[in-house]
Amino acid sequence: MSGDALLEVRDLATWYELRRWGFVHQGWVRAVDGVSLQLRDGEAVAVVGESGCGKSTLAKTLLGLARPLRGEVRFEGRPLVSREDWRRYRRRVGYVQQDPYGALPPFMTVRRILEEPLVVNGVASPAERRARVLESLEAVQLVPPQEFLSRFPHMLSGGQQQRLVVARATILRPRLLVADEPVSMLDASVRVEVLQVLRGLQQRNRLAVVYITHDLSTVRHFCERVLVMYAGKLVEQAAVEDLLRDPKHPYSQALLSAIPDPDPENARRLRPVPAGEPPSLVRPPSGCRFHPRCPHAIPGVCDRQQPPDFEVRPGQVAACWLYEGAPVAAAASARGEGEPS
Amino acid sequence: MEALLRVEDLQLHFRTAAGTVRAVDGVHLEVGRGRTVAVLGESGCGKTSLARALLRLLPRNVAHYSGRVVLDGQDLMALSEERFRQEVRWVRLSLVPQAAMNSLNPVLRVGDQVAEPLWLHGRVRSAAQARAHVEEALRRVGVPAEFADRYPFELSGGMRQRVAIAMALILRPSLVILDEPTSALDVLTQANLLNLLKSLRWELQTSFLLITHDVATASELADDVALMYAGQIVEFGPADRFLRDPLHPYARALRASVVSLREDRTPQPLPGRPPSLLNPPPGCRFADRCPSRFAPCEDPPPLVTAEGGSRVLCWLYAPEAPRVR
Repeated sequence: MSGDALLEVRDLATWYELRRWGFVHQGWVRAVDGVSLQLRDGEAVAVVGESGCGKSTLAKTLLGLARPLRGEVRFEGRPLVSREDWRRYRRRVGYVQQDPYGALPPFMTVRRILEEPLVVNGVASPAERRARVLESLEAVQLVPPQEFLSRFPHMLSGGQQQRLVVARATILRPRLLVADEPVSMLDASVRVEVLQVLRGLQQRNRLAVVYITHDLSTVRHFCERVLVMYAGKLVEQAAVEDLLRDPKHPYSQALLSAIPDPDPENARRLRPVPAGEPPSLVRPPSGCRFHPRCPHAIPGVCDRQQPPDFEVRPGQVAACWLYEGAPVAAAASARGEGEPS
Repeated sequence: MEALLRVEDLQLHFRTAAGTVRAVDGVHLEVGRGRTVAVLGESGCGKTSLARALLRLLPRNVAHYSGRVVLDGQDLMALSEERFRQEVRWVRLSLVPQAAMNSLNPVLRVGDQVAEPLWLHGRVRSAAQARAHVEEALRRVGVPAEFADRYPFELSGGMRQRVAIAMALILRPSLVILDEPTSALDVLTQANLLNLLKSLRWELQTSFLLITHDVATASELADDVALMYAGQIVEFGPADRFLRDPLHPYARALRASVVSLREDRTPQPLPGRPPSLLNPPPGCRFADRCPSRFAPCEDPPPLVTAEGGSRVLCWLYAPEAPRVR
């Protein structure tokens, strides 16, 4: 493993147990099933996938809100093992929720919302707290900050609410920010402003960002790297430009072709997309999980064996048998399988 | 040729504790036969209220409801509630509601729900006849016929959305209103559903009124685009024109704010927020956010027909006002 990674995740699996009557074991929902990734200091990475692919569970695991079943998480080079490790780690990670209105307590003023994390984490001096609150409001462009202090969340527009959530997530000066669909509930015209605020904070403060989204079109201007997730696994990892110009995995290709640009020609042709729906995470398909929908599936191979991560070009990795012969990426070795006892 | 639907000066205001909300405030719009019109606007601009006004699905706190809605030459506003129910709603004008996949009745089998309009409007006499109609309707939207025996929770979101479309089409109305048909779905499911709507359009010659907040979704289906802002249609014209070179300053700003996958430009956020519909400003409602604002914008803007047939509600295009750009 390289030394400069802020966060390293190896073979992470977060499964949820299905029980009948609350205690009879029924099976496992394999929401995150063998994910390995690295995040450099100050890097913005998008995790893209459809709903039910496990991307929110990945976010929750990275936030320490869901317990992984197996796998290793290292932060600043040190593995997170004990409860205390995770507790310390959580202080350095910020969380931007999907629905700003649901994430903000309706009976608290902006000032209290932002002071709370400071109080909890022992910033004792009221003068310092006030200065940090004003500073963080300014950083998310809620200006002039004094005007916002005594407002309640319902007095803000959707975009302002989400920027307040971002301010709250960054007021403790975290190293890592996990943003779970931060703009999907907002109107198209204000999405950009929230993403630009996030991008500005990331670049000014060398903040690493994991940006969870289903919308590839927002990725381009706000991230350096993209991870594509399907049915609990990462199927492709690449720099943004490489993925948009030349996606390698058939699922990434499908995702890209499904996204319309505002072009009047769209109305005159059908979009080439695979039919069907993502598989069940309780009994995922054997072999490659995309093979039942894949236009290039190789019979006898794709339905039998799980593809390893092939490095198709430096920095671009695809888990697909079409690229057999390319070198296997280092992080992909040592994969645990099988059910826990 | 006479348009299939012509809407003139439609108004729908609601009474609330804070005052009168002018959700639909003087809407003009046409839908041609076999054509699709996208009503495009941000949330809160009144586009769903427009759908309700057309279908007369009104809540109890209506303060004011007026204007002309002419479908196939007949003025619908003149009809009594009972005749509207029997002759228009669902028969000639139907709706796929917002988040339609959650609007199905959870305790009824899918097939029975799809068949309901057939029974209510006396189109079938036996269960077997209804069943045949339902199976055909489901097949047309790409749902296997045996799904008719399932309950909604046994279907995925995309499939339930298709069922809602089958239900809206079952009486073969001439106009179907689609209220945000894809907004809660995943990208691949969305693309598949838009493909379905495109083929239905080509096959059935039905007209659609597509309500959406997403410019890209509008471009997938629309022949014409009606851009709505604060209760009014501020630009109405062919989609080609609207997507390539919109006229109204709001249309341009909205177009520039769209995050696009392939276009090589940085999106520009649209500053400010729409005005309250409680007390909209007397002049142009976009003036506060408009980069081209000038003196006449204090007064209500005229509806100007520009070259290319687009209509735009803006002083910039008025012949009598000084042209300052």
